[in-house]
Amino acid sequence: MTARVVHYINQFFAGLGGEDTASVLPASREGAVGPGRKLQQLLGDDYEIVATVWCGDDHAAGPDVLPAIMDLVRAAEPHVVVTGPAFTSGRYGLACARVAAASAAAGLTVVACMHPDNPGLDEAGTAPVVASGEVARQMGPSLETLAAAVRKVAAGEPLAADDGRVGKIPRRNVTVDQTGAERAVALVLARLGGDREATEVPLPRFDQVTPAQPVDDVSTALVALVTEGALVPDANPDSLESARATRWLRYAVDGRDALPAGEYRSVHGGFSTVWANEDPHRILPLDVARQLEGEGVIGRLHGEYLVTAGNGTSVGNARRFGVEWAADLRRQGVQAALLTAT
Amino acid sequence: MSVTSTEGGTGLTRLVHHVRAVAVGERTAFSSGTLTVSPAEAHAVLTDPALSDVRVSWASPGDPVRIVKVLDAVEPRTKGPGGGGIFPGFVGPALPQGRGITHVLRGAAVVAAGFLPRAQEAVVDMSGPAAPLSPLGATHNLVVEFTPAEGAAWEAVYEALRKGVLALAARLAEAALGAEPDEVDELPGLPARDDSRGLPRVAAITNLQTQGTFKEVFVYGRSFGSTALPTLIDPNDLDDGAVVSGQLGHPSLKNPTWVFQNHPVVAALRARHGVDLLCAGVVLSPEPVDATNTELVSAHAARLCRAAGFDAVVVTKEGGGNADADMALKMDALEDLGIPTVALYAEMAGVDGTGPSIVVPPTRATAMVSTGNYDERLSLPAVERAFGGDRVDVAGAPAIDAMELPTAVIYSSLSPLGWGRLTCREAV
Repeated sequence: MTARVVHYINQFFAGLGGEDTASVLPASREGAVGPGRKLQQLLGDDYEIVATVWCGDDHAAGPDVLPAIMDLVRAAEPHVVVTGPAFTSGRYGLACARVAAASAAAGLTVVACMHPDNPGLDEAGTAPVVASGEVARQMGPSLETLAAAVRKVAAGEPLAADDGRVGKIPRRNVTVDQTGAERAVALVLARLGGDREATEVPLPRFDQVTPAQPVDDVSTALVALVTEGALVPDANPDSLESARATRWLRYAVDGRDALPAGEYRSVHGGFSTVWANEDPHRILPLDVARQLEGEGVIGRLHGEYLVTAGNGTSVGNARRFGVEWAADLRRQGVQAALLTAT
Repeated sequence: MSVTSTEGGTGLTRLVHHVRAVAVGERTAFSSGTLTVSPAEAHAVLTDPALSDVRVSWASPGDPVRIVKVLDAVEPRTKGPGGGGIFPGFVGPALPQGRGITHVLRGAAVVAAGFLPRAQEAVVDMSGPAAPLSPLGATHNLVVEFTPAEGAAWEAVYEALRKGVLALAARLAEAALGAEPDEVDELPGLPARDDSRGLPRVAAITNLQTQGTFKEVFVYGRSFGSTALPTLIDPNDLDDGAVVSGQLGHPSLKNPTWVFQNHPVVAALRARHGVDLLCAGVVLSPEPVDATNTELVSAHAARLCRAAGFDAVVVTKEGGGNADADMALKMDALEDLGIPTVALYAEMAGVDGTGPSIVVPPTRATAMVSTGNYDERLSLPAVERAFGGDRVDVAGAPAIDAMELPTAVIYSSLSPLGWGRLTCREAV
């Protein structure tokens, strides 16, 4: 029996264009498209790419479009879902990871492909990810890795590091015989005895963020204010969490010159908010930003600010917020953002 | 009973009475393992102008009971009538203790529960899957609920509760003064300078949260300030309540007074004292809120450990985020001075356990113990009765309902001091 494969890619690899078409909505077509044609050759006759699903990068990284993508994936009745390769492309990688995570959560067999530094990697949930190269020039070897991984997952076999698997294997809570303190004392004696390797927690891998190029002319730029300081309208109308935030919110500042005490407050749970609430500009400097706008130092201030609570937030969620904010601001033509952190 | 201390009269003798059953009666009493509390006597101890009303109730292991909005827990202990110096700075005078004898009501706790601002929701289940994750799941808990007096400042309400709960814990233990103990623990004093056993001197660095009111820890009754420098303390002083919690953030990463009294790293060091190590002492260290002081405190703590002649150190924290940075800097500073170091970290690996585990890892000192993943969720069953409040806001549900909660909300479940038995393993 031929295994039915559904392939997810972005608008660029679907042949629709680059950043100029990054806002196309989810769509699909029968058969293999773009890199899927080469993947089909590598997979051979036992597999058939029955449908290719794509979405523009700006939408795919947004919060609302995943159900529509998954409807298209499911409609093609896949035995295996394949996403990517996304290389180091952030929004594309995030979309590939989310489609993979949703597929895994729906009980579908799935494998994603992206570079280990792709910010989407941690969004793949329990779905396996294999490594692609860094850039699309490495499409050939990336597809070979991916094709081999497809055969393995289709056969129900687990993927390991030898298969190019990257990303974290889920860590689950288990109960052991000794207390944490007893284990710590045993471990420090082992270290004293010369064991430099033993640990219960592998060192995490953090990616380095390369700062964007400076804005050419900030006096003509559209500038946004964003914050993790949990500053919201006083009633916290959308119930932003004070800790372990799972989402972010947006509030209009159009027509506002100031954030009066009593009308806005910080619901951040990680510090004393007394000073923040006494003058909300200490969290979000709208007053100074308006002044700079009036003086022509910046071109124009974006009409809303984006906010979350950065307190006990998982790195995975924090990274996702960043990618979503970048996509959202880009869609609206923002060229620079001022992020205030607490 | 002969009460002898070890190692040159610097030790402490713990007379441990096991509380096997609890009751409510007209007189507070302890007899044949049954601890009876008199509500009237408890009220008299707890009375304070900042509290208009207090209520005490027992919650015991196995009960279909949930305690929500848990603020602190204290193990009943006393050194004699009127406390005999227990809880120095609160019940006794602010002087070092840790000598002589101390009566301990093991298996019991006095637990304050109720709304205070700045407190993050903290839940204890007395039965079901969450019960074994919290120290209070296995103790008979005298839950103290309260109504603030009208117009009382929240700070005053919290202070009244703290003092009242400590005094009540001392008062309960006083009931056992005449009872024959179930166990006698001879706790060693600090090792002599010329101890010639050739065993490594291993110490604990215990970071205390120092973020001001509602997020502070008391040492001899004084708030340990964010600009304090690390200080060395005799572990036996912790047994006598020299360190008291006033910290309401991060429920799973909280170090209640009960856990300081039973400091798990000290207990683990004592268990191997004279066997393959010497329990060399405890360094209490602040967790400053700014980078300059954090760096100073880490460097200073490492020098202090070097000067004290420690051969290895176990570092612990309280809270998340910043607290991880404190530990990482200390670990690296100690290893730079040639002192092998291990720290206890809770992992923040996301709901499915696939995110990066640690916010700020050490770079050179890489030996870490995991006390479990903060974000993994637990399903709690419905219960018949709840103390401390009517709702669990983080679950958006009445407190007695079945609910799903992150491990982060279960009181002391990821104990930074290493009380618990949770860890993380890869699920391939």
